[in-house]
Order: sequence, then structure tokens, then C-alpha cells
Amino acid sequence: MNGFRLQAERPPEPQPVKDGVVMRLEHIYEVDPAAMTVFEQQDLPVWDTLRIVASRWDHLAWMHDHFADRVISAEELEEDGAT
Amino acid sequence: MTATALDDPVLEELRQILGGDHVLTSRTSRFNRTRVPAPFPVHRWSEYLPDVAVLPTSAEQIAEVVKLANRLRIPIVARAGGTGLADGAVPLRGGIVVDVKLMNRILDIDLVDRTVTVQPGINMLKLNEELKKHGVFYPDDPASYPCSLVGGRIGTSGWSLIGGRYGHTRDLVISMQLVLPTGDIIEVGDGGGRKIRKSSTGFQLKHLFMGHQGTLGICTEATLELVPRAEAEFAAFFGYPDFETAYRSTGALTKSGLATLAGVVLFDEQKVDYLRRDDEAYIPQPPELRSVIATAMYGTLDEVKPAARRLMRIARETGGDYLGDEVSQGDWASRHDRYATPLHGRLRDGTVVPMCWHCEDAAIVYSALPDVRREWHAIAERYIEGYGIFDDWGMFFYTNGPYKPWGDYLVEIDIGIWEQRLDDETWAAWVECKREIAEVSLRYGGSITACHGATRAGDVELVPLEMGGGFEVMKQIKRALDPNNIMNPGKYLLDQAYEDG
Repeated sequence: MNGFRLQAERPPEPQPVKDGVVMRLEHIYEVDPAAMTVFEQQDLPVWDTLRIVASRWDHLAWMHDHFADRVISAEELEEDGAT
Repeated sequence: MTATALDDPVLEELRQILGGDHVLTSRTSRFNRTRVPAPFPVHRWSEYLPDVAVLPTSAEQIAEVVKLANRLRIPIVARAGGTGLADGAVPLRGGIVVDVKLMNRILDIDLVDRTVTVQPGINMLKLNEELKKHGVFYPDDPASYPCSLVGGRIGTSGWSLIGGRYGHTRDLVISMQLVLPTGDIIEVGDGGGRKIRKSSTGFQLKHLFMGHQGTLGICTEATLELVPRAEAEFAAFFGYPDFETAYRSTGALTKSGLATLAGVVLFDEQKVDYLRRDDEAYIPQPPELRSVIATAMYGTLDEVKPAARRLMRIARETGGDYLGDEVSQGDWASRHDRYATPLHGRLRDGTVVPMCWHCEDAAIVYSALPDVRREWHAIAERYIEGYGIFDDWGMFFYTNGPYKPWGDYLVEIDIGIWEQRLDDETWAAWVECKREIAEVSLRYGGSITACHGATRAGDVELVPLEMGGGFEVMKQIKRALDPNNIMNPGKYLLDQAYEDG
């Protein structure tokens, strides 16, 4: 049978980052599931986690564009001259 | 004085005014128009239900509803986005909730005289999506920017994250049309012209109807300021080894005289600890980083670039380490949309629990900030230890003055509350905690609220103390404009205006 199977999309095991924080996918922090006994962590496939993270970056970029024509970075200031 | 139950003839009369589809009596329609995001006694939700919700589409419909309410002594509570944090839109005595969300049109864009006229149910984000096509912007930017509505911003006299550059709601609303508690429709502004920014004709009535929490009328139209869309945005976040160093740096930055500086936000040590729980910008920060300052500038490229260079220099000279472009830009962009914060609650043992969000918003002068901070955290600690369902999410200090980033600050302590565990005892404890926090603000010469309003239990008891002789004036105005006490009755202790008969 072809098609989507949740089991095929399971993320790797969590690795501890610091107290209360783990990482399964690179650069994506998660609250340690061990701390989520009252409010349980959702069971998300990898593609959905990546979709949420990408959406968050899209949202932030959209917010910048909403408020101004362009964003100046400190790096750009340094390229122009000493800050 | 006011009735609290509506019978079929009243509902039928409302349907005649509004149309049947716009008169809502179902439980879900009423439950969903009861609370706001502020902490709420969820175990007693049904005590605050309105009897009916109506969705008008014109000022004339609202005027007819208000006249009916006067005739039958039915309470009226206006509700815009329902995103306020001081219970202004929470009915205390049932009655009719007038929900303005269907009144969401842009009525006029005047690019010559630089105004936009809107209905109260429009959201600022959606308004600015339309204004972007014309190269202009309406710069009213609260933490609820994607979900709050212009009518509520007027009802609360809102604060804007970029108010240090562009002003706050009261500065950006030029004039408005409103329905008085008698059902009369009037226009108020600076003098009589709808688009006049500064006048000395008559009393300054616009300010009377700014921040009244729906106790003096319902806004049905507003003419707003248009500013040029910013060519450039510059955001810079700086880390500090302790709060005291960051506090002094805040003073230097806000007094820099940089006209494009839109806002400065100081994060205290407890706030950084809170953010380290699950905020991707702060989890990887080194432990030496204990306090943070966020800054943002808006304007033309020619203004922002040189100003940004000076800002960076001032921050570094006063002990700040720049946190980098990714954190600065990403975290600044997230500041326009902060209503997801309730997902970060923790018990003392680190267990994650869903908590609602109390957001204190006192206005405090710069010189008093360290002492207020010390006293507020001590209060929060006592209640966390005593009751186990509260959580200290740290403090922010935001520039509060319009068009100037110095002087006074919007001082915010965020307290998480495990609402599902609330009962009468813990709710009473919360109200007492709230009162203690507000008392500190007054003791240091501040104001209970910079922008949310002071209509909630825990705040409202102190309003006469803060207002002094002004509270008597408030009562006289309320009695004069609302002779039957139908407009959001019970708020601001204004029932006292009617106690002498």
C-alpha cells in the first residue's frame, strides 16, 4: 500500500540541550517531553514540524515587510563604515 | 436600576432594528463574548454572560439599540476585538453586548490631507495591508496588533510599541463619531473639523472619549492619522551582565535624541530566565547574559542609517553586547504579535502547565524602575509560594511617552495563572496580588495602567486614590452623559455617581 504513514515520519530521539529543553531536529528546540505530564506534547510527523518552523520564519519576514520597505542590518552598517 | 433579563418582545424589537441574523442568543454566542484574555474566574464564567449579542452594521442601528436600552434600563457593553486586558468588554450585569466586528470598512482614504476614516471593527493589520498600496501607514502597534480592533484601541486609549516615534492611539485618532449613552450621535475631535489635528475651540472632547472603557458611549467611526510608510527599519538587541547595567544603558539610549528611535524595551533578569525556557532566540544564549535591551528605529534610509550607527555606539559604550542580526530582527518582528505567550507556564518543579497571562502595565518614571521591580517580584514570589498556581514570567520596561522615548515607562510584569485550578480562594488571592502590585505603582508616583485600563477587581478599588479629586469629576460626567447608567454599568466604580439619587 502506498501513501502517507505516520510511523515513517517519526523524528529521531530527543537529545538534551539544557534543563527542560531537547532537540530532535537540527536547530529546532523543543520543551522536554518529560516536563509535559499535564499538558502533553503533540505527536507530530517530521514534515509538520518543519512546516511549522518554516511558517514561523515566513511570518517574521512578512512582519518586517509589513512595517517597512527594507530592514537594515548591523552587518550592513559595518560594511558602509565604522559603527 | 438596570434590568438583566430580556424577554421575547425585547428580542423581537432588536431583530426589527438589526435583522434576525444579527441578534444572537445561543450559549456559544454569549459565552464567547464574555471574557477577554486577562485572567478570569473561569469557575464562575456563567455569572458574566450577556443576555444577547448583537452585530450592528451602522451607527444608526447602534443608536436605536441604545435608545431601546435606555427605555427599558438594559445594560449595554460594547465589544470590539475582545482582546483587551482590563475586562472593559466583560459584562458585569448581563444585558446586550454590542459587537462591532461587522463594522469593519474603510470609508475614506485621503492622501492629500493624510487621513483615513474607518469603522471601529477594522483591525490595524488589515487596514495597513490596504494602506500599503498607497505608500502610507497607520502606526498604532500594540502586542495585539493582528487581532485588536480600532474601536477597542479607542476604548482603552491604547499604547503602541512604536509610540516613541509615532505616538499612541490618542495621538493618532484625529476625530471620531460616537453614539452617546442617550442614543444621540455626535462627532468629537480637536475642535470641530474631522481632519484638524490641533484646535482650541471648546473643550477637548476627543480625549474624554479616549480610554473610557465603553462607559461613555460607542465609537462608530474614526478618522485616523496617516504617516509615510517607513523606507527602513533597524532593530538591535543587546545583552548585559545584569539588570543595573542594562537599566543605565536604557537611560542613555532613550535620551540620545535620535528622532527615528521608535521604542526601547528593557528585559529584566527574570524575563530572560523565562525566555530561556522555550524561546529559540534565548535558549542558546550564554549564562552571562542576564538582561536584554531591544531597540527599533523607523524612517527614511537617510535618517535611519546614521542614527543606527550612533545607537550601536551608545549601547556598546554603556555595556551592551550586540546579539546579532538574526536575533535582533527575528525577535523584533515577533514583538508585533505577543498573544501566544500563555503557552509557557511552569510549576516550580518545571512541569509545563497551560497558564493564562496577566500582563501588568503600570506607567512609572525612569528613576523608580529598580525599586518597583524589586517590590513586584517580591509580591509575585509570595503568591507563587503560597498558592502554587502562579508563575513569574519576568518584567519588561517599554518607552511610554508619545514621540519621545524618555521619561516614563510602561512597566510590565507577566504572571502566569493556572486558570483551570482557580476556585474562589485562589481567585481572591489573585485579586489581592493584583491590588498589591497596583499599590506599589501609586506609591512611586505612577499610574496603575499605561494602556489597558483599570476596570478590573484589584485595580478599580484604587482608582479614586489615583484620580484624587478627578474621580468626582468622572462621576459627574458619567451621570450627565448616562442618566440611566446603561452604558457598561458597574465599571470604574461609577455606580457611585447615582447613589445620591
